[in-house]
Order: sequence, then C-alpha cells, then structure tokens
Amino acid sequence: MLVYILCFGLFLVGIYGVIVKRDLVKIILALGIQGYAVNLMIVLFGYRNGSIYPILAKGKEPVPMVDPLPQALVLTSIVIELGTTALIVALAIKLFEKYGTFDITKIRRLSG
Amino acid sequence: MQQSEGMTIIVKTATRITVWIILLYGIYIIFHGHLSPGGGFGGGVIIALAFLNVMLAYGRKYTNNWLNIGFLQDVEASSALMFLVLGILGISLGGAFLANFMYKGKLFDLISSGTILPLNIIIGIKVGMSLFLVVWALAATNSEKGD
Repeated sequence: MLVYILCFGLFLVGIYGVIVKRDLVKIILALGIQGYAVNLMIVLFGYRNGSIYPILAKGKEPVPMVDPLPQALVLTSIVIELGTTALIVALAIKLFEKYGTFDITKIRRLSG
Repeated sequence: MQQSEGMTIIVKTATRITVWIILLYGIYIIFHGHLSPGGGFGGGVIIALAFLNVMLAYGRKYTNNWLNIGFLQDVEASSALMFLVLGILGISLGGAFLANFMYKGKLFDLISSGTILPLNIIIGIKVGMSLFLVVWALAATNSEKGD
C-alpha cells in the first residue's frame, strides 16, 4: 500500500510544478513527472511478490511471472506521452519566437 | 549559439566512430524483439538517437547534406501504409486482421514468430524516422529573441 501512496506523492509533485512554476520548460518537465507517476503506479498494479519478468527464455523452467498486461499498456502510454510532449515543446518554441521569453506572466497578449 | 558550426573535433571523431555501432545495436534490438526485451519501439528510438548524435555533433547543415531528408519523410509516411497492407493480408490469407500467414518456425529461433518480425521492422522504421524528423524540425527554429 505504501508504494501506491508514494506514487500519488510523485503525482502531487507534478501538480505542484504545473500550478506554481512560471517557467514553461519547468511546466513541461512537471507534466512529464505526472505521466511517470501514473505509469509507475500502473506497472506496480501488476507486480507479484517473488515472480520474474514475463519472458520465456531457452532452458528456463516456467515459474510465476508478473502480469505483462500493464506493461504493454504503459508502453502505449509512453508513446502517446512522447507525442504530446513533442506537441507541447513545439508550441513553447512558437511562443518563444513571438515573445522572446518563457515566463508565463509576461505572455499575456491575446492578439497582435 | 553556433548551432550550424557543430562541436569540437573530439566530439566529431567520437561520433564518426560510434554512430554505426549505435545503428547496429538498434537493428539488433528490432530483430530480436520477439525473443528478448525491446522490439520495434525501443530499436527505433535507438536508431533515431544515432542520427540525432550526428546532428548534434556536426550541425544541421551537414546532416541535410549527409541524409536525404525528403526520402526519409517519404519512408516515414509510407510505413503506416505498409503496416495496413500486412494487416489486410492477414484478413485475406489468415482470416482476421493482422492474423499470421507466414512460416512459424521453431521456438527460440530468429524466424519463429510469423508476421511479428516484419511488423516489428515496420514499427522500428516508423518510430525512428518520425522521432528523428520531429527533433530535426524543432531544431530548424532560430533561437533569437522574438519581436
């Protein structure tokens, strides 16, 4: 139970970064931390004590394995996270070209 | 910000030696995706990192001369179509979308997974080219002050 609470703590660290920080790069990093916390929690759901990785190798006896389904789900999640991060970075670069700063308190003109 | 000039000669020499080793490692990861950890996504990321190594060390202008960027964009766009073609071949020959229709081979051999190996290769091409082209396109912006 403790590991899930720690995962939630990591997620709260990400939320803190998104809300409090004013630098766009730090906000993007905080979004990444949020995603990593969720991925870690989903992988930990499939963990079984005393079992090995779910790969059948040559010359090995089949023993209890951890659940491979959350790992496949997390792989897809990582790919999508990569795409969204690339989109966010592209938008941040466009904002920097227009305003010359990453400070979100100075990015306040809506038009022009 | 001398981005087009590239880095020092130490970095350039080290990159010239290691880029082929990194590419070979990525191809190994792709081809053994059904036997060991890795697969199309991981190997594709390693291939993209090999190209990005060259771009960081030598600069963007040299990379444009070394690689045919238009051809890479065509390969990246057509790999999704190749995946779809393999899936529809599974409908016509195997009975369901992405069903196996190739020789299954022996367990733990390199040719032991039917259509998973070609699909892994297609995914590796797609991921590697698209990840490289994303960073290549983001590096095109000038980082001067705006306005």
